[in-house]
Amino acid sequence: MWWYQILICVPLAAAVLDIFNLLPTVFGRIVVLAVLVVGVVAALNRPKFKLSGQLIKSALISCAGAVVTFLLSTRLGLGAVVASALVGLVGAQVLKGRDQLIMYMGSFVGMSSALRFPTVGPLVAAGLLGGILFELTDECWVGVGGRLGTIAAAAVVVVLSLIGGF
Amino acid sequence: MTAFLLNIVIALVWGAAGFWLRQNTKLSVVEVSALLALTAGLVLPPLFEQGALFALTCTAVSYAAMCSPQRCCSYKDMLTISGICALVIYAGQSVLVGVGGRLGTSAAVSVLICILIRKLLNLDQEPKAAKGRPAG
Repeated sequence: MWWYQILICVPLAAAVLDIFNLLPTVFGRIVVLAVLVVGVVAALNRPKFKLSGQLIKSALISCAGAVVTFLLSTRLGLGAVVASALVGLVGAQVLKGRDQLIMYMGSFVGMSSALRFPTVGPLVAAGLLGGILFELTDECWVGVGGRLGTIAAAAVVVVLSLIGGF
Repeated sequence: MTAFLLNIVIALVWGAAGFWLRQNTKLSVVEVSALLALTAGLVLPPLFEQGALFALTCTAVSYAAMCSPQRCCSYKDMLTISGICALVIYAGQSVLVGVGGRLGTSAAVSVLICILIRKLLNLDQEPKAAKGRPAG
């Protein structure tokens, strides 16, 4: 079933809720988490999906990208755009193939504002979740520019909904 | 109004640059996007009063430039996506503020709108020059 594709629509649902000022409410948070749960269950039930070490590897690469970007952006004051671009460029030199994409996707998670993530803990969780979502949505929106950012936004929105960060 | 128009013009320039880099260099999609974003982040804010907004728009356009040749196969497609992206970023400045991945989401929405328009107008075409590396 294509239901797992709903995972990548989490930020779109969050954007609609935000436009109507519903995202910080209990209703908004429940909608976001419900979309996540339905999508994850559908993704795990895909015949092609296999639980492997790649899931953990992706989560760790994404988390590293997120944390480094966040620190460069907020602690060194480089700004989110420059920090993410630097992490992407370095990642492209150090890593190969799809790992480059995962690192770049993690850097998008790290572009979040320090007002949303006052501590690094939830950001680490968002980074790890981003890597997991990358693997779960590997067949969604293939070849669509902005796909990585959408996955990153999904991870950030879910974590912020869980911790009440909106 | 000037800022709005300038935002679109700069987005078009960045989109064209991204497409040219994809077609004429051996850089990976990540390198092309990161180079465009880095240039936007360093150059535009000091140059313009609204430079921060322009940098965000160009960064989103750089993400849209990661499209595979099958999704975006000509300068016309890329310029259309860039224009839509500029509008989406401008209109959505107060949506999901501070959420990482917001620009990428705007880019993806722009690409999907462009694909939808192409399908509605039956403008789908075979990729002409698929020299660029495929996107992930």
